[in-house]
Amino acid sequence: MEQAPEYVIEMLHITKVFPGIKANDDITLQLRKGEIHALLGENGAGKSTLMSVLFGLYQPEEGVIKKDGKEVKINNPNDATALHIGMVHQHFKLIDVFSVLDNIILGAEDTKLGFLQKKAARKKVKELSERYGLHVDLDAKIEDITVGMQQRVEILKMLYRDNEILIFDEPTAVLTPQEIEELMQIMRGLSKEGKSILFISHKLNEIMEVSDRVSVLRKGKYIGTVNTADTTKEELSSMMVGRPVQLVVEKDEAKPAEPTLEVKNLTVPSKLHKNNAVKNVSFTAHAGEITCIAGIDGNGQTELVYALTGLEKASSGKITLCGKDITKASIRQRSLAGMSHIPEDRHKHGLVLDFTLEQNMVLQRYYEPAFQKAGFIRFGEVRKYADKLIEQFDVRSGQGAVTTARSMSGGNQQKAIVAREIDRNLPLIIAVQPTRGLDVGAIEFIHKRLVEERDAGKAVLLVSLELEEVMSLSDRILVMYEGEIVGELDPKKTTVQELGLYMAGAKRDNAEAEEAQA
Amino acid sequence: MKDLLKKNGTRSVLATIISILIGLFAGAILVLIVGLVSPRIGIKGAWDGIRLIVAGILCTGREAGSLTFGFNLQVIGDTLFTAVPLILCGLSVALAYKTGLFNIGASGQFLAGTCATLFVALSIPAGALPKFLIWILAFLAGVLAGAAWGAIPGLLKAFLNINEVLACIMTNWIAANLVTWMFDISNLKNLVEGTKTGYIYKTTYGLVNVNGQWMYQDGLGVATPKLGLDKLLPGSQVNAGILIAIVIAVIVYVILTKTTFGYELKACGANRHAARYAGIRDKNSIVYSMAIAGALAGSAAALYYLSGNTELSWEVYQKLPAEGFNGIAVAMLASCNPIACIFTGLFMAAVKQHGSQLSFLTSYNEYITDVIIAVIVYLSAFSLLIKTWIGGRKKTKKTKDINPVQPKDDNAATGKGAAE
Repeated sequence: MEQAPEYVIEMLHITKVFPGIKANDDITLQLRKGEIHALLGENGAGKSTLMSVLFGLYQPEEGVIKKDGKEVKINNPNDATALHIGMVHQHFKLIDVFSVLDNIILGAEDTKLGFLQKKAARKKVKELSERYGLHVDLDAKIEDITVGMQQRVEILKMLYRDNEILIFDEPTAVLTPQEIEELMQIMRGLSKEGKSILFISHKLNEIMEVSDRVSVLRKGKYIGTVNTADTTKEELSSMMVGRPVQLVVEKDEAKPAEPTLEVKNLTVPSKLHKNNAVKNVSFTAHAGEITCIAGIDGNGQTELVYALTGLEKASSGKITLCGKDITKASIRQRSLAGMSHIPEDRHKHGLVLDFTLEQNMVLQRYYEPAFQKAGFIRFGEVRKYADKLIEQFDVRSGQGAVTTARSMSGGNQQKAIVAREIDRNLPLIIAVQPTRGLDVGAIEFIHKRLVEERDAGKAVLLVSLELEEVMSLSDRILVMYEGEIVGELDPKKTTVQELGLYMAGAKRDNAEAEEAQA
Repeated sequence: MKDLLKKNGTRSVLATIISILIGLFAGAILVLIVGLVSPRIGIKGAWDGIRLIVAGILCTGREAGSLTFGFNLQVIGDTLFTAVPLILCGLSVALAYKTGLFNIGASGQFLAGTCATLFVALSIPAGALPKFLIWILAFLAGVLAGAAWGAIPGLLKAFLNINEVLACIMTNWIAANLVTWMFDISNLKNLVEGTKTGYIYKTTYGLVNVNGQWMYQDGLGVATPKLGLDKLLPGSQVNAGILIAIVIAVIVYVILTKTTFGYELKACGANRHAARYAGIRDKNSIVYSMAIAGALAGSAAALYYLSGNTELSWEVYQKLPAEGFNGIAVAMLASCNPIACIFTGLFMAAVKQHGSQLSFLTSYNEYITDVIIAVIVYLSAFSLLIKTWIGGRKKTKKTKDINPVQPKDDNAATGKGAAE
C-alpha cells in the first residue's frame, strides 16, 4: 500500500448535520490527480456544504478527509491553503478599488522590513498568466474590468499560492457564453499541467464538455460517480433529480393574437454612464407568444425592464399595455393595468427576505379585498392562499407558509416568486432571467409554466442571457446590443452561432434598425 | 414546554429577563464597591444600597435606622407616572426600528411636543373653552408637533437619501435651541425673582384677566384626570396618562401586525427595493414611519407635561430630554415589540425610582446613582446578544435530538437551503 496514492483528495463518508437537516449524509468523493471532476446536484443538494467542509469552513460530524492518502484535519481555510487547496467562490472575493496585482498577492504578500516586495510578485504572476493563458491587466482596478477577467484574477490568486487542488463553485453562473468557452479552455489547460479540479455545477452542457468524471449528489446523499465519456445528459439529469427530466421544452406552435405590450421609441438614460442605456427601442409583445429579449449582460436589458415596469423613468417614448398608455403610470398602476413581473434580482426586488413566505406570496396583492378588510389583513385568507400556491408550485420550505424567505434555497425562493407572479393571472408576464441559478428540475418546471401561460393567451416577455433558454423557449427573438434592438430572429430558422453574432454586435438587421429609427 | 421554549417570542422574553437580572446584578456589585470604598457608607450602607437597587420600589422608608419593606403605594404610583413618557418614547423608537429606521431623534420630537403642548395649554384663557377641550387641543398639539418634527428626517431620508440618524441628531439640537428661544420670548416663564433662570408655568395654571391684566393663577388650568388612581395609590403623581400610554401601545401593535398599512411600512423597512417593486410608495412610507414615531414622542411630552405636577425647567441652551434616549433602551429591551414596551418602560421607571430611593434613603451621592442606573440600562440592552446565545444552545441540542431520525423529504430540501 506504499505506492503513490491514486487520489489526491479523498473525502470519505462525510456527514454534516445542520439544525433540522442532514446537509451531507455519508458522502464519498475521490479526486484523482490532474482530472476535472464535476460535482453535480440540484440547489440544496449539499454541494456547497461539502466544499465548505473541504475548505475548512465547516467541521463534519462524521467522516475523514485524506490528502495523498494521508488523513488530514482541516479546521479552517488556512489549513486548506497549507494543503494547497484553493477555491474560486461563486461571488468573487476581490477588493474593487485594489489593482489586479494587489488582489492576487493579498494575504500572501512578500515583505522586507515591512515593505511590500511587489517586483518578484509581479514576475511570478506574469509567468503564471502566460503559462496558463490567463490574460489580465495587472495594474487595472477590479471595478474597471469585466466579470470574466475578475474570474481569471481569482484563478491566478489560487495559482500564486501554488494550489494543487482547485475548487470552482458554479464558475459559469456569471459569465457570457464567450467567457464560458474561454474558462473551459483554461480549465483544460490547468488539468494538463497537473492541477486537480473540482468543478461544482448544475449545468449539464458544461459538465459534459469539460469534465472527466462526475459525482452526483441528491438531497444530501451521494448517488454515484460516473465517467463523463460513458454517460449522457439524460442519465445525469435523472441521477440528479431522481426522475427522468424533459431537457427540451415541449411546446406547440405559438398562436400570436393581438398586441398586449407596445413599446415605441423608448429611450432610458443610464445610471452608469452619460449615454442612454436604451436607445430608441420599439417592439411589440403579442398575446399567446413568448417574445424574448436576448443579449449579453449589460446591453440595456435591465434598464429596459426597469422602464417598462416603472422602477425607473424613461426619458422619452411611449409604452402601451392592453391599449392603455402607461408611459407615466406608477408601478402600482402598471401592475393593476395587467403587468406581472418576475424580477432579475430575486433578493433585491423579488422578496422581502425577512418576511415569511406567506407574507411574500401576497406582496403584490395584499391590498386586494380578498386579503384585507377595512385595512386589516385577513390572515386566514393569506394563509390559505399561500398554502395553495406552495402546493401548486411545489415550493419547499422548512415550516411551510411561515418560513422566513431568507432561510429558503435559491430555487425555492424563485419558485415562490414565479408562483406569485403567474397566479396573478395578468395579460403580460415580464420574466427576467426566470431560471438564473436554478437546477434542471426547477428550470423544467418554470419553462413548462411559462409555456402554459402562453397557451392560455398571455403575452410573455422573456429577458434571458442564456442562449439555450432563448433558443428553446422563445417564439420570437429580439437581440439587444448596446441599448438597441439589432435584430429580430425566428428561433426555428436561426442557429446559436448566428444569434451569437447578433449578440456580439457583429451583425445587425438593417431593416429592423431602420424601423426603429423611423 | 419544549414547544414553548422553541418559540421566538418566548426566547425574547427569556433573554430580556436574563439581561435585566444581569443588569441589576452588575448594579448591585457597583453599589457594593462604592459602598466599601466610601467610609461614609460602609458595609451596612452598602447592604441597604443593594437592597434598594434591586427592590427599591418596595421600600417604605426607615425605621429605627434600618430599611423597612412593604408595598409603597406612593412609589408604585410614581413609577406608573414616570413610565408614561418612557413607554411612549420606547414605542417611537420601536415603531421606527420595525420599519427599518433608527429614530435617535425622539428627544427632539419630545421637545417639539413639549413646546406645542405648553403653548396651547397655557395660551388659551381659562374659561374660554371647556377644560377637557383645552386638554385635548394641547395633547393634539403636542402629537402634531412631534409628528412634524419627526417628518423632517423622514423627508430628508426619503427624497434626498440623507441618513436618518444624522438628520435626527441635527434636528434634536435644532429643537433644543429653537424651543429654548421660543420659551425665552414667551410670557410663560414663571421666573424666580431676580434671576433669569426659572420654570415654565405648570399646566394647572390658567391664564386669567384680572382688572385688565393677564396673569396666571394656579388651579385654573388643565391637568390629566386621575380617574381615581390617586385614591388607589395615594400621594403619588399617577394619572390617566398610563392608561392612555397602554392604549396607544396596543394601537401601535395592531397597526404594525394586523393592517395593510403596517405591512407596507414593514416591507419598506425590510427591503425598500422589493416594496417599490410591489408598487408600495416607499418614500411616503418612510415619511409616515418617521412622522408616527415623532407623534409618539410628542404624545410622551404632552402626557408628561399635562399631568399638572411637572414643571419644565427652562434654561438658555436647553439640554436634550433624557426620555428620548431612554426610549431607545426601552425599545431594545423590548425587542421592539410594542406590547413589551409597556413592561420595559415600567421596568425603566422602576429603576429610576430605585435610584431616587437610593439617594433619598442612603448616603449614596445622586450622581453615582445615575451611574448605577446607566450600568443597569446598558447591560439590560444586551438582550439581543443573550437571545442569540439561548438560540445557539438550543440549536446544538436540537441537532442531537434529530440525529438518529431520517429527515423527511420536504424538510431535506430546506435545511440544505439554509446550509448552502
